[in-house]
Amino acid sequence: VSRAPGPWRRRTRAVLLALVGVLYGLSIPWYRSAAAEPRLVLGLPDWVAVAVGCYAAIACLNALAWLLTDVPDAPDEIDGAGR
Amino acid sequence: VSAATLGVTVLVLYLGVLFAIGAAAHRARRDDTPADHFLASRGLGLPVLFLTLYATAYSGNSLLGYPGEAYRRGFAFVMATGFMMAIVVVFHALVPRLRPLAVAHGFVTPGDWIRHRFGAEPGGTALRLGVALLMTVALGNFLLAQLVAMGHVAHQVTDGVVPYWAGVVGLAAVVLFYETVGGMRAVAWTDAAQGVLMLVGLLALLGWVLGDQGGLAATTRAVAALRPAAVAVPGPRECANWVSSIALLGLASVVYPQAIQRIYAARSATVLRRALAMMTFMPFATTLVVTLAGIAAIPRLEHLGGVEADTVVPRLLADWAATGPAFAVLAALVLLGALAAIMSTADSVLLSFGSVVAEDVFDWPREDPRTTQFGRRIAAGAMAALALLALSPQLTLWRLIELKMELLIQCVPAFLGAIHWRMVRARAACAGLVAGSALAAGAVLAGVPRLGGIHVGVLGLGVNLLVAVLGSLGEGARASSRE
Repeated sequence: VSRAPGPWRRRTRAVLLALVGVLYGLSIPWYRSAAAEPRLVLGLPDWVAVAVGCYAAIACLNALAWLLTDVPDAPDEIDGAGR
Repeated sequence: VSAATLGVTVLVLYLGVLFAIGAAAHRARRDDTPADHFLASRGLGLPVLFLTLYATAYSGNSLLGYPGEAYRRGFAFVMATGFMMAIVVVFHALVPRLRPLAVAHGFVTPGDWIRHRFGAEPGGTALRLGVALLMTVALGNFLLAQLVAMGHVAHQVTDGVVPYWAGVVGLAAVVLFYETVGGMRAVAWTDAAQGVLMLVGLLALLGWVLGDQGGLAATTRAVAALRPAAVAVPGPRECANWVSSIALLGLASVVYPQAIQRIYAARSATVLRRALAMMTFMPFATTLVVTLAGIAAIPRLEHLGGVEADTVVPRLLADWAATGPAFAVLAALVLLGALAAIMSTADSVLLSFGSVVAEDVFDWPREDPRTTQFGRRIAAGAMAALALLALSPQLTLWRLIELKMELLIQCVPAFLGAIHWRMVRARAACAGLVAGSALAAGAVLAGVPRLGGIHVGVLGLGVNLLVAVLGSLGEGARASSRE
């Protein structure tokens, strides 16, 4: 019996990992002026609070992605891996 | 009770527990094959696998080097939480394909993947040797960093009773003992105990960081008043370095031999993916906490520079311990947690070192018990040599981490590239590995660790990939034209 993941699982996992990529982009304050005066948010400079918030979201999405990931126990259950 | 007596007592108790675990693991072994010694016969269940992954990933570098770097760089080092998490993200590209092959073909070392993927293809042996040598250098560097950290913490936890050199030599001997007699079982079991201890210690540290200085906001204001640059929005170069650090650590860490061997050692695929799902949250309990501790040290400890900044955590704890007996006990717990983190990484690195050198460098057979003996002897020799080097530390712990990653990241095409793209050829991957490593090592030796904030290892990976892809396409085209 094939244990290949259903298409919805694969699609959901792909969407989650894409969101992780977007959040990584947002966690880095490249869009902020280095001259801007940071405000305190939750006791942290605002750009640090944004980064920590992004990493919290990444942790949740990535954990969900791992739970949706099918890791087969035999090589014939995956397609195209190595030899 | 004096701080020294308390420190020596908890240290002796802790080492006693490690000896007991090592002896129990020795009794639990099934045979003397490399698969049993180096992978615990592929039987690690969820709690032990999770804790050994955790304790191995978070090392002396994390607990001493990261606060030191946060102290030097300020809030921009929050990037560390991101790059530690990136490791568990990048594993998505490796684990689902590598794990089933490892189970089916009985892989023990990372080199077994290279053997399987490239077989007798021209350049296959050179690629396996190249990867193994880079891994050996990276593991040696990693072990050296742990030994340096062991010396510092043993000195601190015993309030100076144990000198730095005795900490290095004594604790190296303890690690060597339980790794030799118990193999992966002893390493994983001690990692589990050490992981729990590390978490308890870090939670105590977090409580102190947030409580003792009047909360996070007060700490941030104090840092801003003393060193405004530590709070300022990072500029373009710092942002480029942020991206580069996520790429460097995220990619290089998934080809850590000890990480790859834990993929092999999991009892089942389900256990493995659950452990990885749990691992993704651990940067919050570890990296973020130590980063905040390093930043909180800025207003308290002025003008620590270079290697000295790596002693930020022990110095903070010494201050804390001086405020009362209850705090002295908590500070000792945190230091013991740090020592646990260091030793748990050192043992895993040492185990991988022996197996990689024996099987991947010297090509000893993976079914033969004599390979286990050879691996043990190599581990003992490496430990002795690196302990000698650790007696006079020259580089910051963070710099040691970067150097290791800049070499290790050059192995990425041979793993992530070759596992996803059938066209990759051994000769091309080997040429890429040599080109990338030469660029990274040459730039480091020339005193250029980064270009525009980007690590030279990441630039080397770009060259490495280019050579591997173009070379593989060229070989493929030549093979087609011959047919």
